[in-house]
Amino acid sequence: MIQAGQQPKITVFHCLNSFRETPQLFEGCQANIVKMACSSMTQDIYLLKAFEAGADAVIVLVCPEQACRYAEGSIRAKKRVTRVKALLDEIGLDGERLSLFNTMAEESVALRHIIQTTLVKLDTIGLNPAFNHYN
Amino acid sequence: MITGSQKPLKEIATLVEPYERILILGCGTCVKTCFAGGEDEVAVLASALRLYFKKNYKMVAIDELTIERQCENEFIQEASFKAGQNDAILSLACGAGVQALAKRFAKSPVLPGVNTTFIGIQESPGIFTEECSGCGNCGLAVFGGICPLTRCSKKLLNGPCGGSCRGKCEIDADTDCAWQLIIDRMTLLGQLDNLATYIPPKNWSTSLSGGPRKLIREDHII
Repeated sequence: MIQAGQQPKITVFHCLNSFRETPQLFEGCQANIVKMACSSMTQDIYLLKAFEAGADAVIVLVCPEQACRYAEGSIRAKKRVTRVKALLDEIGLDGERLSLFNTMAEESVALRHIIQTTLVKLDTIGLNPAFNHYN
Repeated sequence: MITGSQKPLKEIATLVEPYERILILGCGTCVKTCFAGGEDEVAVLASALRLYFKKNYKMVAIDELTIERQCENEFIQEASFKAGQNDAILSLACGAGVQALAKRFAKSPVLPGVNTTFIGIQESPGIFTEECSGCGNCGLAVFGGICPLTRCSKKLLNGPCGGSCRGKCEIDADTDCAWQLIIDRMTLLGQLDNLATYIPPKNWSTSLSGGPRKLIREDHII
């Protein structure tokens, strides 16, 4: 449960073509945005490092699978996210903190919904327990 | 190459828990190729363990290093400094690498982070298959380069069992029948008649069944 006044930290990894940075999208949270030339650059270690750095949730935004400019980027990102979600479950952090969505840059309504859904989810699973213990 | 897969995180965490400072040591050769113990896997495991211990209110300092090969002293010595700085070493190499480290660092506990599985090849990206049993007396010339000892579920040396279906093994439908592959290849090579030669029972004394083996090259010993 998130306490009043607490602002969850959300790290967003996104492909250049799947998201346009709009500060208003992130009302109610602190956002850390990582731009990638293609979602195939999503690596297990980057996702884990985001949690080490204090992210309460990590969102990966990738193009629809048939619309990836580099053919397989979205598919590769999806497979890596699935693997890291399982690892987060093993760690005990809850894989639900990590999500991948197929989006297009102009879909601001959908993106707003994604952020708000993530905040609701965090309200249930709580803040990152690995970060908040010692920091 | 020797293939392996990383142990489950909880098993690794239980192994390293008694120590305050551990070195995760990767191996940049075989296990790197099969995504079990190269630089990337060392980094991911270190990060996962840091999160795991923080979440469980435990302080374990985790150091990282990957050397070219853990089965050769010339490369192992690159890890000497970090080995001395840590209470234990978690090796992400095959069993040979773990034992080579244990020999080299007599005072450091060396823990295995990888389950060594088999000698194999990368069939396609992300898929590894067993190809060699290391029997010590290679007979691949007779079988067209396909080893029935390793790839036939029944290890038959004188032809198929008759149980295969559409080229797949009756033990596992995902496995190619080794004898189907052998016959197809010998047909292609025009050497099918070679298979008429009787192969006597395998002498296993050259394999691990004959006890631990040693390879000596006198010309390289000073």
